[in-house]
Amino acid sequence: MNIPLTTAVALLQGSLTANMKDSLQHPDISKFLIIGALLFSIGVAGVLTRRNIIVIFMSIELILNAANLNFIAFSRYLQESGNLNAVAGQVFTVFIIVVAAAEAAIGLGLVIALYRNRETIFVDKIDLLKW
Amino acid sequence: MILSGWESVFFWVFALAALVAGLLTVMARNAVHSALFLISALVSVAALFVLLGAEFIAGVQVLVYVGGVMVLFLFVIMLVNVGAEEREQELLFNRTGQTTAAVCFAALLVFGLFYAINQARGRFASPASEASPAALAAREAALRPGETGVARISEDTQRVGASLYRYGGLPFEIASVLLLVAIVGSVLLARTSKQELAADDVDPEVVAEISAAGELKPAEIEEAARAHAAEV
Repeated sequence: MNIPLTTAVALLQGSLTANMKDSLQHPDISKFLIIGALLFSIGVAGVLTRRNIIVIFMSIELILNAANLNFIAFSRYLQESGNLNAVAGQVFTVFIIVVAAAEAAIGLGLVIALYRNRETIFVDKIDLLKW
Repeated sequence: MILSGWESVFFWVFALAALVAGLLTVMARNAVHSALFLISALVSVAALFVLLGAEFIAGVQVLVYVGGVMVLFLFVIMLVNVGAEEREQELLFNRTGQTTAAVCFAALLVFGLFYAINQARGRFASPASEASPAALAAREAALRPGETGVARISEDTQRVGASLYRYGGLPFEIASVLLLVAIVGSVLLARTSKQELAADDVDPEVVAEISAAGELKPAEIEEAARAHAAEV
């Protein structure tokens, strides 16, 4: 069991194909998109599974951030392909951050009003309009 | 765009940090822990923004999200958190069926998005020469040197500002109105019955409702009415 770390790294490197090694050493824009996709899916899973409404809001923030990451990555891609002034993606991200801040303020105000009236923050107990 | 050298090391470190922190945000039992993990995820994503050359957005992310929105979250958690989840009196997730379906849906989403990204991958690849040290040095030499002469000044913020005010002037103003509406709305939503009684346009029905609900004593209602009359 006493494999030296260098041997382990060498074994790991040996098991990777040259193509994979290159793509690990030189991540391109698709890696950023993959990270964005994973963050988005984690956020979606959080919204659909959690019961605490505050954690659901936090998952929504995660989703918005994944979208921001994609916007920035594509903005960089457009800049690389020639036009240095192609920063529409970054401008859009500023607006997304503004909307996220407004959404958080309103949503958390609703949570406080709800907690004052119903004494709960669990979404399956907030069923006044159900049936 | 291709990262190389230390940039790629930082990319993997921050990407993994963002993913792990995001997962822990969703899984954490204590809402405060959730908020702290979300802060780490947001900071990691800000670092990825820096790697993508968007320094201004990274700064905005840290200032607005971490400094503003997350503090708001923590305040609300302090106000309402009953700690029932932590004491294991309340379930963390929805019913098993719904949770399973949701996780399956998220997994399908991952597969779909991976498939789409994989389809387009060939077009994202930039020429390999771009990643060479000479190309990186040339890219950096094109930037203006800073006052000390050691570092270079990025022009990203300047470009974003010019673009924002030149092409996004109207949306910018609309965003400011949106923020105003959000502030007024959340103040209205979060006020107490006593504060509601002190408003000038309070409906007699609301007064009757509040006194019927027994939230406030009649003396308190009279006092609020007197305070309002004195103001007028």
